[in-house]
Amino acid sequence: MEAMVLAVKAVGLRVGYLDSEENVLWAVREASFEVSEGEIFCLVGESGCGKSTVGNAIAGILPPHAVTEGELHIFDRPVIQGGRMNYNGVRGRIVSYVPQNPGTGLNPYYTVEDQFYYVLNSLYGLGRRKAVEVSRNYLSLVGLDPDRVLDYYPHELSGGMQQRAAIALALSTGARVVVADEPTSSIDANLRLQLIKLLLDLRDSQRISLFLITHDIMSAGKICDTIAVMYAGRLLEVGRGSEVVTEPLHQYTRMLVDAAPTLGFKKALRSIPGEPPRPGVVVEGCAFRPRCPWAFEKCVEAPPRVGVFGREVECWRYVG
Amino acid sequence: MSVGSKVAIKLERVTAGYLTAARGWRSLRRRLEVVLNNVSLEVYNGERVVIIGESGSGKSTLLRVVLGLLKPLRGRVVVLGKEVYSLPWSERVRVLRAVGYVPQDPYKALNPSLKIRYSLMEPLEALGIGDPEGRMARVLRLVQLSEEVMNYYPTDLSGGMRQRVLIARAVIHDPEILVLDEPTSALDVSIQAQIINLINDLYEKLNLTVLVVTHDLGVAQYLADRAVILYKGEIVEEGFFEDVLHSPRNNYTKLLIKSYRASI
Ligand SMILES: Nc1ncnc2c1ncn2[C@@H]1O[C@H](COP(=O)(O)OP(=O)(O)O)[C@@H](O)[C@H]1O
Ligand code: SF4
Ligand SMILES: [Mg+2]
Repeated sequence: MEAMVLAVKAVGLRVGYLDSEENVLWAVREASFEVSEGEIFCLVGESGCGKSTVGNAIAGILPPHAVTEGELHIFDRPVIQGGRMNYNGVRGRIVSYVPQNPGTGLNPYYTVEDQFYYVLNSLYGLGRRKAVEVSRNYLSLVGLDPDRVLDYYPHELSGGMQQRAAIALALSTGARVVVADEPTSSIDANLRLQLIKLLLDLRDSQRISLFLITHDIMSAGKICDTIAVMYAGRLLEVGRGSEVVTEPLHQYTRMLVDAAPTLGFKKALRSIPGEPPRPGVVVEGCAFRPRCPWAFEKCVEAPPRVGVFGREVECWRYVG
Repeated sequence: MSVGSKVAIKLERVTAGYLTAARGWRSLRRRLEVVLNNVSLEVYNGERVVIIGESGSGKSTLLRVVLGLLKPLRGRVVVLGKEVYSLPWSERVRVLRAVGYVPQDPYKALNPSLKIRYSLMEPLEALGIGDPEGRMARVLRLVQLSEEVMNYYPTDLSGGMRQRVLIARAVIHDPEILVLDEPTSALDVSIQAQIINLINDLYEKLNLTVLVVTHDLGVAQYLADRAVILYKGEIVEEGFFEDVLHSPRNNYTKLLIKSYRASI
């Protein structure tokens, strides 16, 4: 086996946002994880649990009112160290970002060619000729015919073509890590499958690392090497993609799986009662306690992270 | 609940579309874009029918035609025995009163500057139905929300709660038919399950006929007695959901099922 190169490493990462009274609302309370080169890593969980905040921290696009603690490294460069952030030479060049709706990742007022030119020119100072050459390579790589898209505006392309163009644009900078926030949500099955195949191909041919963010745990189980399940700013379970879905250990993971439809097998859909804590609300002890059918006395204290069957779980039921 | 032999909704060879104005350099060009092509469909009383199609296939347009909001270019639309588009507007409203509608996006569908109470009351005022307080209390109980939410603004509520409010609003005037446009696509999977279970619960309790539009086969599985596959404005296949799933005949349907299985 080749030596594993770490693409992303978070150690006790915390990210919060300052509100108008200068209080910090912690969106990411404690996240420690590693993403190897060439790995597909999925962060799943309900909305508001802090997924996008982690993704934005990796991509270097946190807003100015964000505050940080802990550490985040990208290919051994410390981009977050305590309260300091430094993405020079990393943002755009090593890490690229594909937003939720590919239409929004593309500027509606520029042709596809112009978008490549502006990105490559601002990052590397490439001239128009060179930028077009690079863009042709990446458009072909994602299965688009450059002659049929370069001169077009985003709205003139189909949804699937927009998505491919946005990914080509993200890769064209030579990025080694691609953060994609809910890239497959609200698209139909055909388009979703095409996109997933494309991402898998790119991983195989380019050895890029993919950090995918989704609320759909079933779909994550189909494509990811590793799944991390996030809740109220913490990672409750981290493990191999397929195993986390087929044999969830944490009660929250289990409930996410039970709530998802499986085609051709009409089990009763069990919804998770209640909702995640609202921003700023701190639940003492285990954050999942108010919704957990397994809760017992011990759970008023914060559970430690323990290793179980090659997985990491934050739950008192697995301690001892 | 038993499915009656009476037809609740009937579309007969319906062709519908939009006149789009494309402003050219000098002239205003008008173009007719046909979105539904020769669509025929019957929904029986007490039945749950799901229309499945990808974005742009014409699902929302089909609903607009059923709701009396878009007059088809050709064809007949019959709701509860009345031909909708041959009625004068006032009578059309009376027929469509029997239809409750849940629009697509729970984040956009509620007026952000109105307290929930006023959004809920809207259909009652429009239709001149009395006892708003009693009705509001009753529907909120039905959708398992506390009465407190009446005094909240939409932004105080989570997506799942907003969707419950929209469903409450759709049934507050005791409709016979409930029409829902992508009722779960903007929601988390965990909340999606709550909403699916709620829709089925109301279907039983209120003796509804349910017509749903979705792009998601997994959601359709739970909401459909009968499935209708819409592709590029045409119905390419229909039948009992389980039959369509296990022995699809149309190539597009086959592809859809295969893709779904491979990606989810
Ligand atoms: N730019 C921002 N400014 C202030 N608060 C934010 C910002 N982005 C996210 N938040 C807050 O952080 C919390 C986590 O949100 P987010 O990271 O978007 O979660 P997810 O992606 O899992 O839905 C939420 O309470 C959200 O309101
Ligand atoms: S620590 Fe307790 S409350 Fe938290 S998930 Fe485990 S059993 Fe449930
Ligand atoms: Mg998000």
